[in-house]
Amino acid sequence: MAPLQKRALYSLVTGVIFTIAIVIVFIVKGGIDTFTEDQEYRIIVDVLWIGALLASLLMTGITFRKPGQLDERDKLIMVKAQRIQLVAIIFSLAAWVISLPEIYHTEGQIPVAFIYLIYMSILLVMALSQSIGVLIGYWRGVSHD
Amino acid sequence: MTKTAKIRNRIRRLRFDNGEMTQEELANRAGCTRQTIIALEQGKYVPSIELAFRIAKAFGVTLEEVFQYEEN
Repeated sequence: MAPLQKRALYSLVTGVIFTIAIVIVFIVKGGIDTFTEDQEYRIIVDVLWIGALLASLLMTGITFRKPGQLDERDKLIMVKAQRIQLVAIIFSLAAWVISLPEIYHTEGQIPVAFIYLIYMSILLVMALSQSIGVLIGYWRGVSHD
Repeated sequence: MTKTAKIRNRIRRLRFDNGEMTQEELANRAGCTRQTIIALEQGKYVPSIELAFRIAKAFGVTLEEVFQYEEN
């Protein structure tokens, strides 16, 4: 397994664990209704999503810092992974844009906390989809096209 | 569903001809990772012109002796 591939796998596993943890915290702590009032709830979520991003950055950073870890193929895979990242971000935003007005149609307004949640979710999607893109690149192979 | 490469190579054969040169050794000489050599041998990757020249140089042969362009 190439160093970048290994890091992408670790990063993906860590990211999925953190994401599951965030979802569990949301369910246990009462969802969006209590999010703005409960400070402890917000701190737990902040620690989890920032932790997920730091873990992802750390793992990618280690690969880039060590000399001889990446060659032209690895770099090409990284570039191609950005396409998957872009698609994942577009789909995530589309999911928010479609679901929120549908759910809060009768209220006529969407809770402010969703701005924060959208931002957090997009950052997580970026980190996860980058790892997925890298792993797909190694699995399918890449070419200069 | 790997793309069929139009450019074939004889890296495996040339390694054998060079006293069973290891993939690691070739990778070190060519300045790439062993995984890239594996991908090249499996036809899963077509290298840049620079890496192709470095591989040919590692074997002490011309580019055409390592890589062949095949039109489908």
